[in-house]
Amino acid sequence: MFYKERTIIKLEGVTKVFNVKSQKVTAIEKLNLSIYDGEFLCIVGPSGCGKTTLLRILAGLEQQTSGRVIISPREPEKPLNSMVFQGDSLFPWMTVKQNVAYGLKMRGVAPKDYEKVVAHYINMMGLSKFENAYPHQLSGGMRQRVSVARAFANDPEILLLDEPFGALDEQNRILLQQELLKIWEGTFKTAVFITHSIDEALILGDRVLVMTAHPGRLKAEIKIDLPRPRDTLSMRANKRFVELYEQIWSYLKEEVIKAKSAV
Amino acid sequence: MNMTEEKLKIKIPREKEIKNVIVLESEENNQKRSVFGLDGIVFKICSLFSPLLILVLWELLSKLGILDIRLFSTPSLILKSMLPVVISGELFYNTFISIRRIVLGFLAGAIPGVIVGLSMGLFPLIRLVFQPIVSAVFPIPKLAIMPLILLVFGLGEVSKIFVIAMGVFFLVVINTMAGVLNIEQIYLDVAKNYGASRKDFYLTVALPGALPMIFAGFKVAMGTALLLIVAAELSAARAGIGYMIWRAYDMFDIERMFVALIMMSVLGYVFSFVIDWIERLAIPWKHN
Repeated sequence: MFYKERTIIKLEGVTKVFNVKSQKVTAIEKLNLSIYDGEFLCIVGPSGCGKTTLLRILAGLEQQTSGRVIISPREPEKPLNSMVFQGDSLFPWMTVKQNVAYGLKMRGVAPKDYEKVVAHYINMMGLSKFENAYPHQLSGGMRQRVSVARAFANDPEILLLDEPFGALDEQNRILLQQELLKIWEGTFKTAVFITHSIDEALILGDRVLVMTAHPGRLKAEIKIDLPRPRDTLSMRANKRFVELYEQIWSYLKEEVIKAKSAV
Repeated sequence: MNMTEEKLKIKIPREKEIKNVIVLESEENNQKRSVFGLDGIVFKICSLFSPLLILVLWELLSKLGILDIRLFSTPSLILKSMLPVVISGELFYNTFISIRRIVLGFLAGAIPGVIVGLSMGLFPLIRLVFQPIVSAVFPIPKLAIMPLILLVFGLGEVSKIFVIAMGVFFLVVINTMAGVLNIEQIYLDVAKNYGASRKDFYLTVALPGALPMIFAGFKVAMGTALLLIVAAELSAARAGIGYMIWRAYDMFDIERMFVALIMMSVLGYVFSFVIDWIERLAIPWKHN
């Protein structure tokens, strides 16, 4: 009972309530969830269902109002998690190289020890030519590649990805999904990936969770039994892919309609 | 008959029947472009000659007696009286004294200003403690406390440096704090998620993120420093550009006063040039 069987994160009745203008808004309500060591978990849900809140709680950027989050890392000496943020999160005042090295530098790794790792991930993302460029000199797709490289270079136990490709155009999204798969497969890292795209969830995930519209609860869990390593293009033509897509959409559709009528 | 039917009745002309043809010219064929190029040079010449034009006008108006020559002198007389002040070294000595006071006062105000401003921006507790003090002291014109400063520090250099430092400090504090508070939350999240220590928050997020605002503060503060130096050198100074201006006033030496004023203008220009230059070095990510 190890890879993809051992629980690495367990959420027990996690609730998050925000105070918005002296009104209580429940973002997540009594969420129970197990995330397995080494799995690629995708979470889909209508906008405003608390997906990002959930991820921010896991990242330690937000504290749940009640309930427990139990994390039991495989290799405690590694950093627990690294997040790939939604939107522009690269420091504009740092070059590509400095941005990718950020986590390692913060952990006190000496430059001579991290230079190779940084160069490796920059190279893997096809950005070697731009290692000394500043973020404003890069396109949106390139910036998000740097973001992914920064998370991987930090070598965390858990990767948290908050709609990292949401703002990209379709062509870049397909390329980045492919690159993310390439870079992730073989690392045995646990990945929690938030998305609103069913396509993306199916291409990347071992498991897809559908969340309900506010407050966020668990609606359904679908195992994605598509073989790995995956090829993003041939996958879409797979019959099983289409079946799973329809299954997830049927769950999601109800929630999207509910979310719309609630406003 | 409704609109659509009416529209349908419009006769579409055949290609040869069309008389008006609009062609959007390419850049290289565009005649206007060279005119704009010429305009560029014209603009430059205009901006170069406008100060000269003022000088010529000044000279003429004085010579014609429209301007009172005793009060406004003339550019040629000022130039003439500039020579002995330059040769004797008096002008440069006074300039040097003022520059030293400005630079020391500026550093003494700006460095603690950046540190306090960063702390106030980063830590709400420090902000809560210092904000009322800053709000209470900042609006007091620094010239108003000049007599108190003279009583405390005496007539020496320290009093002049201190008053400039006071003026600079508060402006830099307020700008730096605003700079930190304007840093987008996401950068603080990234720093936290990637394990930044308190020192790292200062050096990798707050300071670089606030730099554009800090430099905006420096520029305003430099203007204030120039204002304060003249006032500080009014009372109890034996040298300095401000002192020169007040001495010229005492002796009704208008030409010498203008020489000192020209030097003030040069100083202001040089200082803002230096700050711009440092800014470009410090914020390479803002300039290509």
